[in-house]
Amino acid sequence: MDVDTGNMTQTNLVDKVVVPGDVVLDLTKMENQTIKLGSGLHQDCDYISVMQAGKLRLSKPNKYWVESSQKRYVPRLEDTVLGIVVEHRSDNFLVDIKAPNLAFLPVLAFEGGTRRNIPKFETGTLIYARVVKANGIMNPELSCTDASGKAAEFGQLKNGYMFETSTGLARMLLSSPTCPVLEALGKKISFETAVGLNGRVWVNASSPDDVILVSNAIMRSEFLSGTQQRIMAEKLLERLQKS
Amino acid sequence: MHVRREVIHIHLPRRSTSKCDMVGMVIERDSVGEEGDDVVTPGEFLGEATEFVAGKGAYVSPNGRSVRACLTGRRKVTAAPPGSHDNRSTIEIVGHKAHGAVPQPGSIVIARVTKVMARNASADIMCVDSKAVKEKFSGIIRQQDVRATEIDKVDMYQSFRPGDIVRALVLSLGDARAYYLSTAKNELGVVSAQSISGGTMVPISWTEMQCPLTGQIEQRKVAKVD
Repeated sequence: MDVDTGNMTQTNLVDKVVVPGDVVLDLTKMENQTIKLGSGLHQDCDYISVMQAGKLRLSKPNKYWVESSQKRYVPRLEDTVLGIVVEHRSDNFLVDIKAPNLAFLPVLAFEGGTRRNIPKFETGTLIYARVVKANGIMNPELSCTDASGKAAEFGQLKNGYMFETSTGLARMLLSSPTCPVLEALGKKISFETAVGLNGRVWVNASSPDDVILVSNAIMRSEFLSGTQQRIMAEKLLERLQKS
Repeated sequence: MHVRREVIHIHLPRRSTSKCDMVGMVIERDSVGEEGDDVVTPGEFLGEATEFVAGKGAYVSPNGRSVRACLTGRRKVTAAPPGSHDNRSTIEIVGHKAHGAVPQPGSIVIARVTKVMARNASADIMCVDSKAVKEKFSGIIRQQDVRATEIDKVDMYQSFRPGDIVRALVLSLGDARAYYLSTAKNELGVVSAQSISGGTMVPISWTEMQCPLTGQIEQRKVAKVD
């Protein structure tokens, strides 16, 4: 394997776009260090190479990962996702979360869930849930409670409008401090959103105009910088004479 | 010494039409001796029920008078054991070499795991008692049969992965789809497995195997191989 020896220093490629095959670190040049590898990186004997195209990130002192954005979702433990119920089996619901396999949502995985009060979700119901089991081999498992067993906003989402985005945009909407487009919209309109890390966003507001405005603003904000997002949001609000 | 002449009708259906062809064959055979060199086929007359006991591969015909074969193979006559009040010889059919092994309850099999699910794992049985099988047999390892201790806390994902080679014990014939297998003993479990990086892993304890290429440790239910 041809190795570009320019990548030996640790900070060379951080925050830059990397593609599969790029060698990020040479382990023979670094002694007695512990490095933590996140998604998108793979150890190939003595080299750490990139498996997914994206931006390489470093969290000091030693965590490396590749931030990428796709339309498909790979289930991860403790992700919050928006799923659509596909089928109702005897002991769990089958939920589509844009993953390679359908996810299982046990019928008892709700706050105060017993055999007597199983929720009646029909095919097509939108659910906000948390991933509790995700390995590449078995179907992922979801839960509508948080770790302590409380409902905590999980469950069915009623009314509103759901649209699909890339996973990168979903992560940006959930970042803290608040994403600029949501902040700019929130100053003039009152709305609520649920963002699933699997690339689904649900928006609800008091009037359909507001719902459409917020959805369009979010969809357009993916590749804009913070200032550009604010300007775009304000232009949209002006057009509907909300300012 | 008696020579028996038998006429066997073999029914050969034609593929395209509904009419069938019948072909007759005459087989002449010498039926004396302990183990004949000739091949017997299912349904063939082997002896009188008054002279012979039906052993493995033979049965007594419905009218109770003759012993017939139910397998294809060579006939073998064993004299009655001394001291038994029935001094009839036993006729058995000794199997053809072409028949492969079939898993029986209690036999140790080598299987490859094909699917891992929440409560069980599916495996394809490849060898029975160190003899390879000729056709595919399916086995299932249930969650409660993976190990002997704490069987309700078993995580299937930490016991097996697809592609692992396991040594298992056949518990029963199971249902129509698969045999029931068990790895609930020290010498049963994963014998060989590949890591995510592709290297063949080395066992380091009864729950862990390590990849030689990357040093990563993965969880499996490992067999104790001497």
